[in-house]
Amino acid sequence: MRGGIRKRAGALLLALALCLGLIGCAGSGETVLTIGVYAGSYWDTPNGDCYQILDHAIALFEAEHPGVRVEYVSGIPTDAYSEWLAEQILKGTEPDLYFVLPEDFDLLVSSGALANLDGRMAADPAFDPSLYYEPCLRSGQANGSQYALPHESVPTIMFVNKTLLEENGIQMPGNDWTWDEFYDICDQVTNVDSRQFGVYDYTWLNALYSNGASLFDQDGRSCYLADERVQQAVQFAKKLNDLNGGYTVTARDFDVGRVAFRPFLYSEYRAYQPYPWRVKKYSSFEWDCISMPAGPSGSNVSELYTMMLGVSARTKHETLAWELCKLLSMDESVQKELYTYSHGISPLPAIAEDSEMLSLLHQDVPEGSGFSPEVIHDIMSSAVVVPRFDAYNQAMIMAESAVQESADGGTTGQSRMLTAQREINIFLNKS
Amino acid sequence: MKNEKELSTIAVVMFALNFSIILFYSLICVATTFRLCQSFSAYDFLSSVRQVPRYPWQMPVQSLSLYALLCAVSVLKNLRPTERFPLRVAICVAEIALCMGIIASLDFYYSGIALLVLADLVHYVRNGKMRLCFIVVLSLLFAFGRYEIVAHSTGRIAFTAYLSYYDQTAQGWFTGLESLMVCCNILLFVLFMILLFTGQKEENARIRKLNEQLNQANDQLRDYAVNMERMTEMRERNRLAREIHDTLGHTLTGIIMGADAGLALFDAAPEESKKRIQVVAQSARDGLTDVRRSIKALRPDALERSSLAEALEGLVENFHLTTSAEIDYSQEAGPLEFAADEEDTLYRVVQEGMTNAVRHGHADRIAIRLTRAGDVVTVSVRDNGSGSGKTEEGFGLRHMRERLDMLGGSFTYGNLSKEAADGYTGFFITVDLPVRSGKGE
Repeated sequence: MRGGIRKRAGALLLALALCLGLIGCAGSGETVLTIGVYAGSYWDTPNGDCYQILDHAIALFEAEHPGVRVEYVSGIPTDAYSEWLAEQILKGTEPDLYFVLPEDFDLLVSSGALANLDGRMAADPAFDPSLYYEPCLRSGQANGSQYALPHESVPTIMFVNKTLLEENGIQMPGNDWTWDEFYDICDQVTNVDSRQFGVYDYTWLNALYSNGASLFDQDGRSCYLADERVQQAVQFAKKLNDLNGGYTVTARDFDVGRVAFRPFLYSEYRAYQPYPWRVKKYSSFEWDCISMPAGPSGSNVSELYTMMLGVSARTKHETLAWELCKLLSMDESVQKELYTYSHGISPLPAIAEDSEMLSLLHQDVPEGSGFSPEVIHDIMSSAVVVPRFDAYNQAMIMAESAVQESADGGTTGQSRMLTAQREINIFLNKS
Repeated sequence: MKNEKELSTIAVVMFALNFSIILFYSLICVATTFRLCQSFSAYDFLSSVRQVPRYPWQMPVQSLSLYALLCAVSVLKNLRPTERFPLRVAICVAEIALCMGIIASLDFYYSGIALLVLADLVHYVRNGKMRLCFIVVLSLLFAFGRYEIVAHSTGRIAFTAYLSYYDQTAQGWFTGLESLMVCCNILLFVLFMILLFTGQKEENARIRKLNEQLNQANDQLRDYAVNMERMTEMRERNRLAREIHDTLGHTLTGIIMGADAGLALFDAAPEESKKRIQVVAQSARDGLTDVRRSIKALRPDALERSSLAEALEGLVENFHLTTSAEIDYSQEAGPLEFAADEEDTLYRVVQEGMTNAVRHGHADRIAIRLTRAGDVVTVSVRDNGSGSGKTEEGFGLRHMRERLDMLGGSFTYGNLSKEAADGYTGFFITVDLPVRSGKGE
């Protein structure tokens, strides 16, 4: 009796193993690779066909890798993408590779969700880090290792109201302009009575990057608030603000053509420059973009935001995921499509500085554009990747309130900064 | 054991309770994960724990399947008990390994499983050293298998992180339930241990009492034996006295009276006197026969029942059995058919020699050899004992010498050489006994 039960149990186990084996075999017929992607544009610009680049890359990839099917969930809006990704990670269903928003990068690295790509990069002969702009690649690094590859980048640039400058008889500044020129122009343009101003939304943070300074070190352990270059930036921003005689300039002032300058993301320039958009948003004046003005200790440097691609640390198809990641990041035909279907700059100099592409881009601008391949090269290779770490937001609030206080307090500013710097350092080292 | 039933009841309750605890932790973690996702708090959760959690199915599947295995091992080891030591150790080690697996698969939220396994094993293992070893290992597991100690830096998510998703009331309920169950587990463990040890103590006391009774009975038996011996001795003495009185007394009285009558008649009637003295002589002869018969009655039982050869073999065999000394007995003296007194002497020599070897020399090997050259039978007894430090004869040897003197035999003894090749380095006795040809007289 007992022997009979054992035999039956054995047979049952065997059948079960067979079933599992069959399922395994059937499953291995086609490999499904999943990729996480958001809908629309991360850069807050209208984007008609957001999956075009991805679909093209997937077609290329599937042709290259027969038996592999790439899938993605469509329709996740950009602002819900981080939450969606976090949910997938909690449920353990995250895609094999996914787009990494700049603000999520630190969290994804420190929680161990992203695979370290150092080994892959070193072992893959087709991968060459020198093909990238260094700051773009650096965006995907943490703790000295590469965790994500850049897909597209967007630097901060300066919008210029050409019409307003012409009205005031001022020449369009060059791409190598300085704080002094910037201040002079603002000074000339500003006329508080007729609601005419030099600049909108230019803060001490914009100023400090172009003054060669940085507020925090790369791993977020120390703050340089009392650094002289930071102080210069704070002073300069205050000086510019003082020109407005107490009036708070608004976005609307700029939109109606009453402000000469406004720092903007490159993507805005790209999105609104082509004909239909240009009419819609800034139709009352002619405008163009130039790089940020250089401070006394810095150069025409701007902040860089980079959309990246990372491989999940738990993927079962790491090689395939890496291949697709590389394709989206490095393949020239894929990257070229950024010009058509997105508003960023390719992290690859070969594409970003392609003059044919640039002239295509600028054919809508009546009087030609200030963006030559050289300018793009300068902006991209010197751009600053703002360190994003755990306590970044809180530390930033502390720094901003200290700057605000010192701006209000006048001469006691320096000691207030030192105190604040000490407090922030303590905070950073505690968190 | 007396409270075996209570113990197994507590064990079953503990197994059930631990199952609920595992289920509790698994459910909270899985349910919270999905609730977090439903309420769009996944990103906040991830930013606060900064750690990719394990796959949600992992904790319940791993911990419950390992727990099922643990239960199976525990039940099987009681259903089909084994006495094979390696197997028993393997079972215990398997239980401890499963316990570790469960604690790890629960992300170290709960280490009370170690108490369950500890109770189970302490009951199962009787070997003191091994039991102590398991107690130490499992206590360490219980004390240190905690999230706060082990997993804090290994990138596991704290249970409190999951709890913090809920509002204060729910958190209170959950932590209350958690500590209630954990406390119950500890209390059950303590109860189990108390019952187990009091049960063992009672058993020990019972055994001690039985032992005392046994010792008492033994003492009584010994006293009884001593009394018995004394009584036997007394009876024997009485028998001898009666025998002497009945035979010798009677005969001697007759002889004296006959001799007196002979003397009185010697001059008056020499013929009559001669007759009388003849009667006295006959009476003396009859008396001697009577004495012989009496002495025969005192012979060793063995010789009374069987031949000397058989008696000696029996003696050697018995001695080997009772003392476990190894005895090399070789009989090369041909047929052993001698007069009763000679047989008695030979028997006593062998008996005394063996007894001395074991009693005084503490030997465990004895060689006995019987040879015959003409009318002289030689008995040699050698042993591997410590020999004798004394030179004077003890009672046994003196007695032996007296017996031999009576029969005209000779007798040597002493220590053997310490370098003897055959290993007999103790004491030796050699007896030469001239035998009268024929049996008896």
